[in-house]
Amino acid sequence: MFKSKKLLVLLSMVLVFALFAVGCSQPADTTPDGDTEQPAGDVTVKDTLIVAQGGDPASLDPHATNDQPSARVMKHIYNTLVTQNQQMEVVPALAESWEVIDDLTYEFKLRQDVKFHNGEDFTANDVKFTLLRAKESNHIGHIVGAIDPEGIEIIDDYTIRISTEKPFAPLLAHLSHTASSILNEKAVTEGGEDYGQNPVGTGPFKFVNWVTGDSIELERYDGYHDGPAKMAKVTFRAIVENTTRTIELETGGIDIAYDIQPQDVSRVEGNSDLNLIRGESFTTGYIGFNAAKKPFDDVRVRQAINYAIDIDSIVEAVFQGVGTPAKGPLGPNVWASHQGLEPYGYNVEKAKELMAEAGLADGFKTTIWTNENQQRMDISEIIQNQLRAINIDVEVKVMEWGAYLDGTAAGEHDMFILGWVTVTGDPDYGLYALFHSAQHGAAGNRTFYTNTRVDELLDSARVETDPSMREKFYLEAQEIIRNDAPWIFNNNGENIDGLRKNVKGYMQHPAGHHYLYNVYFE
Amino acid sequence: MHKYIIRRLLLLIPVMLGVTFIIFTMMYFTPGDPARIMLGESAPESEVIKLREDLGLNDPYLVQFGRYIKNAVVHQDIGRSYTTRRPVVDEIMARFPATLKLAAMGAFVAVALGIPTGIISATKQYSLFDNIAMVLALIGVSMPNFWQGLMMMLVFSVYLGWFPASGFTSPKHWVLPALTIGTSSAAIITRMTRSSMLEVIRQDYIRTARAKGQVESVVINQHALKNALIPVITVIGLQFGFLLGGAVLTETIFAIPGVGRLMIESIFRRDFPIVQGAVLFIAVSFSIVNLFVDILYAFVDPRIKSQYK
Repeated sequence: MFKSKKLLVLLSMVLVFALFAVGCSQPADTTPDGDTEQPAGDVTVKDTLIVAQGGDPASLDPHATNDQPSARVMKHIYNTLVTQNQQMEVVPALAESWEVIDDLTYEFKLRQDVKFHNGEDFTANDVKFTLLRAKESNHIGHIVGAIDPEGIEIIDDYTIRISTEKPFAPLLAHLSHTASSILNEKAVTEGGEDYGQNPVGTGPFKFVNWVTGDSIELERYDGYHDGPAKMAKVTFRAIVENTTRTIELETGGIDIAYDIQPQDVSRVEGNSDLNLIRGESFTTGYIGFNAAKKPFDDVRVRQAINYAIDIDSIVEAVFQGVGTPAKGPLGPNVWASHQGLEPYGYNVEKAKELMAEAGLADGFKTTIWTNENQQRMDISEIIQNQLRAINIDVEVKVMEWGAYLDGTAAGEHDMFILGWVTVTGDPDYGLYALFHSAQHGAAGNRTFYTNTRVDELLDSARVETDPSMREKFYLEAQEIIRNDAPWIFNNNGENIDGLRKNVKGYMQHPAGHHYLYNVYFE
Repeated sequence: MHKYIIRRLLLLIPVMLGVTFIIFTMMYFTPGDPARIMLGESAPESEVIKLREDLGLNDPYLVQFGRYIKNAVVHQDIGRSYTTRRPVVDEIMARFPATLKLAAMGAFVAVALGIPTGIISATKQYSLFDNIAMVLALIGVSMPNFWQGLMMMLVFSVYLGWFPASGFTSPKHWVLPALTIGTSSAAIITRMTRSSMLEVIRQDYIRTARAKGQVESVVINQHALKNALIPVITVIGLQFGFLLGGAVLTETIFAIPGVGRLMIESIFRRDFPIVQGAVLFIAVSFSIVNLFVDILYAFVDPRIKSQYK
C-alpha cells in the first residue's frame, strides 16, 4: 500500500521537475536573455547592446519629465541644437554653427541633411515649435525659461534666431540639455497624450518598444545624419536593485551596468570578464544648515561644525573611497569651479574656540534630517558622533523623501543632507538656485542662506557674456560661500559603470547621460 | 449557487467604494507634495504651483474625491498617471500579466511541494522524513524573501550559471522567482496539510475504511485528503491573494515589472492615481480569489454547496 503511495508522490515530484525542465528549455539561437545573435559568416556577432540602469523612465517626451533614466534613453532618440562633449565644450549638433548677434540674440544655422525618424525634414519650424512647447512645460520650463517666446524668429528654413528676455550667459549649455531636444511637430500632434510612449526624434536610434517597468528597445536609425551607429539595437533595462544589476553584469545577462555601487566596485574590478569605468560626475553632496534659524544663523557656529567634522573619514568610510572630498560647492569638472578653496580640515580645538566665541561652549541640542538613503543615514550617524566632541547633541531624523522635501522647503529643519547635480556643467546651474536669496526653500536654497554680495555676483555672472568676467564673479562667490559656511562640502561623486570586456568604444558623460553611439562589441 | 455568486459579485461594489475612500483619504493626508516630488528638488516653485493647479491638487479634499468617483462611475476613467501620463488602467494592465504569472507559479511551487510533503509527514508522523520536513518548513517560513532570492541568484546564476539573474521574459527567467516566492507558501501549506491530515486520519470513518480492508492509498487520497483539504484550500487561496497583491521584494530583486513594484514606486513618487488604482485592483483581485475559494469548497465538500443560497 505504502509502495503505491510513495510511487504516486515520486511521480508527482517527477512531473513537477519535468514541467520546469520543459519550461526552461529554449530555442538554441537565443542567449539566456532572449536577444538573438545574427550569424556573420562562421562566427555569430551579437548585435544588441543591453544596458541596465536603476529605474524605468517616466516618459520619453523631453518636456514631460526631467529624470535621469529618461534622459539617458532620450539622449539616443533625439538631438539638441548644440551639445557638450566629454570636456563639456559646446559643439555643433543640429545647428552646424551659431553667431552672437547681440547680448540677447543668437543666430543658429541648421543642418540641412537631417530627417526625423518618421521621414519628416528637420527645419527651423521644428526648433520654434519645440522651444515654445518646452517653455510651457511644468517639468523643464525653467531650463529654457530665459528664452523670450516673442524672440524666436525664423529667418529661413535653416536659419533661426533665439533671443532671451535678459542677457543669459549659460544659454548654450541649457540648449544642450536633453530637455531641449528637438521634436517634430507632426509627430507630437499625432502622438497626443501618448507621445511620451511613442517618441520621434532625429537621433541615432529609433524607438521600437517599451515594456513598462522592464525595458525599452531602440533600433539603429540608418538615416542618421552623422552615419549609422555601430550597434543594431540597444535595450535599456530597468533593474532597480543594485546588487542584481551587478550580478546580471557578471553573468552576462547585460553588457553595461550603470551606477555600480561602492560596495560592488571591488567585485567588478576583480572579475576578469568585466571592466570598471570610473569618472568624475557633476554631483556634489553636502550637509546644509538652516541659516535662518538659531543657532545656525551665527556664522561661527556653522564654521565650528565644519571644523568638527572629519569629511575625509566620512568619504572613506561611507563611500568606500568612491568620489573625493568636496572642496567647494561645484565639482572640479564644472567650469569656473574654485578648487583653490582652503578646506576647513578636522580641528576640534578650533571648533571649540568658535563655539565659545558664539557663547555656546556648553553646546546645544539639534536635529539632522536625512531621507531613507543608507549612505546619508550613515553620514548622519557619524556626524552625530563627531559633534559630541563640541557638546552638540544631534538627533538623527530619517524621513520619507516627499516629507523630507516638503519639510526642508518649509524651513522646518536644523541640519540636513542632500546632493546637487550641476547637469549643464555651468556654474549658474550649480550656484544660483542653491545660494541666491531669491531661491529660498523649495526653489533650491534650502539653507535659507542670504548674502547680498553673493546675490549680486550670481546675478552679474548670469548676464555677463565675457567668460573671464563671469569666471571672476563665480570664483568670488564661491570664496564667500566657503567662508559663510551655509554648507559643509561633503563629496564629489563619481560615475561608476561596469562593462563586459568585449564592450568597446564606451565613453562616460559627467552628467550621467552616457552616449552609446560609438559602442560596439569586439 | 448562481444567486450566491451574483450576490458575492454585487458585494464587490461597497468593497470597492470603501477601499477607494480609505486609500484616497490616506494618500491625501500623507505629507509630501506630488508636484514637488514629480518635478524634483531643482524645479522652480512657480512650476510646482502651476503643476499643482494643472493636476487639480489645490482643490479641497471633497471636491477631489467627488471628481474621482464621478469620473470612475460615469466615465469608467480612474485617471492618468501623474508621472507617465498614461491611463491608470493601462499602467496596471501592463504590469498585471507578470504579477499573475509570478503568483500562479509561486502557488504551483507551493502546492507541488507543500501538499505531498504535508501528506507524507502526516502519514509518517515523527519519522525522520517528518522531522526533516518540519525543520525545512520552519526555515521556509522564517527565511526573508529578499535574502533567499539573492542567495538563489548567487548559487544558480553566478556560480552554476543555470538560470538568468533577473527579468521575466522566458520560462528560464521564471524559475528562481517562482521558487523564491513559492518557498514560504510551500512551508505554510506543508504545515497546514500535515496538521489537517493528522486530525482527519484519526476520525472514525478512516478507521472504518481501514477496517473494511480498503487499500491505504485509497484511504489517504480519497477518504482522508478530500476532507483535510478544506483548510488547506483556504490557506492556498489566501497565499495566492497575497501573491497577486504583489510580491514587492521578489519583484524588485528579480527586476520583474509587476503590480507590487508599480504600487511601491508610485507611493514614493506620490503618483496618487496609480496608487489608488493599484490598491483597488488588488482589493478586487483578492475578493475574486476568495470567491473562487468559496466555490471550490463546494466541489471538495458537497455539504457546503447546500449552504450557498
